[in-house]
Amino acid sequence: MIVRRFAKVNERVLYGVLGFVGLGLVWEITASLGLYRRSLLSTPTAIWRAGVTDFGNGTIFPHIAVSLQEFAIGFVVSLIVAIPLGLAIGWFRRVDYATSALLAGLNATPNVALIPLIVLIAGIGLESKVIVVFLSAFFAVMVTTTAGVQSTARRHLEITRSFGGSQWLAFRTVALPSTLPFILSGIRIGAGRALVGVVSAEFLSANIGLGFYLGLYGQLLDTARLMVGIVLFGIFGVVIGELLRVVERRFEVWRPDIRA
Amino acid sequence: MTDHLALSARGVQMEYRDRGTGKRLLAIEKVDLDVADGAFVSLLGPSGCGKSTFLKIVNGLILATAGEIKLHRVAKGREDAMVFQDASLFPWYSVLDNVAYGLVCAGVPRKEARLRAAPYIDLVGLQGFADKYPYQLSGGMQQRANLARALAVDSAILLMDEPFAALDAQTREVMQSELLRIWNAARKTVLFVTHQIDEAVYLSDRVVVMAARPGRVVADIKIDLPRPRALEVKRTPEFAAYEEQIWRLIQHDRVPSPLEQAP
Repeated sequence: MIVRRFAKVNERVLYGVLGFVGLGLVWEITASLGLYRRSLLSTPTAIWRAGVTDFGNGTIFPHIAVSLQEFAIGFVVSLIVAIPLGLAIGWFRRVDYATSALLAGLNATPNVALIPLIVLIAGIGLESKVIVVFLSAFFAVMVTTTAGVQSTARRHLEITRSFGGSQWLAFRTVALPSTLPFILSGIRIGAGRALVGVVSAEFLSANIGLGFYLGLYGQLLDTARLMVGIVLFGIFGVVIGELLRVVERRFEVWRPDIRA
Repeated sequence: MTDHLALSARGVQMEYRDRGTGKRLLAIEKVDLDVADGAFVSLLGPSGCGKSTFLKIVNGLILATAGEIKLHRVAKGREDAMVFQDASLFPWYSVLDNVAYGLVCAGVPRKEARLRAAPYIDLVGLQGFADKYPYQLSGGMQQRANLARALAVDSAILLMDEPFAALDAQTREVMQSELLRIWNAARKTVLFVTHQIDEAVYLSDRVVVMAARPGRVVADIKIDLPRPRALEVKRTPEFAAYEEQIWRLIQHDRVPSPLEQAP
């Protein structure tokens, strides 16, 4: 049994790698056959060389550091604000009434539309990017948290009341744990949005950061470096996703579907 | 009958206003009920007769529109504790934390609540399952934990709302005889809601038969079967006679279906 499991896991990894290698090969071959202009899509080897050069002389590190910083600050602050706010809106009907129209309007406005205004107010430095990242993640986290609280099972809330527990106890012991899966998926969605926020903000107005890096080399028609930026964002997204998966498993031992 | 009443209900009435038509509906009409200390009393009736609603009124989950309910005062803790229908355990809590939850609601610190809850896990036959989560338990075991949670608060009266309705027939019978064993050990007053005649007769000292539209008491039948009762008692002629008597009461009250009305 154990041997079979082991083989299965290996098979997953093996075919996963094969998929990547296969795509790379097709890409490389079609490019070298001259089926399209190299300046449009570059080639895997050229991207690799560009990456090695920029990592080798260290010119890319400040860009990565700045992007990570913007992402981390904006995302963490948005969690700190969005989760408690979402919980309050979900739990207290009146807070919901007071905020729903306002937040719905704000949420409906595409974040990118706000970037020029934010730059005008906060400049082209770190602050404006942090604000964009914050806004990008904020609504996803808040809305899913609210939905989670509001979908708390009535019969579970009834149990606290039946045994004479307070509303505050019901919130802590019933609403909060049953909302946790929602909060975690909100964080997952929010992380993705935050990453989009980093790229779009740096893209439009910045002088440093990965978004700026790939925007700049796009304009210079250096497709290989542009691709390096894209690949880095991809890796970034995957790493964040995996980290969140680990967190989810820690928190949700009681959910049968998560355990397997 | 003992001198003390665990529960005394007078003229309990429950009215709803239908949201669509705006008409007032009488869910429960003037129910009087006395339950002696230590007695096992069942409320039996078809769905819609207000038996569960009555139980929730006793528990304080629903406020009756008229009448009053007196529960025998106890020195400490709660007067009553409810055993709910299926799926009423918190999936995010272990069995031990679920069983301790009633005590936590009563303001007992969690650590102490766990210590006090532990013996009840053994009492209901869940030894070794304290650290399991509800999804790892069968339906019957979940209802054992549900019962333990209500027992742990050590209330004077136990309110049970069709606790075995979702179980398969075999498990239900096992749980019925287990309940009698536990009732015997814990010496509680029980008010048990069910729609199954054999369950009510097997468990109870008294079966209170209710009818629907409006919900009301139509009969109060004393069950004179010797205790302790083994499951075999269900195959005695006395048992069958009680079943027959109650079945006739319910049949009599039932609105015939259109098929039966046809000539």
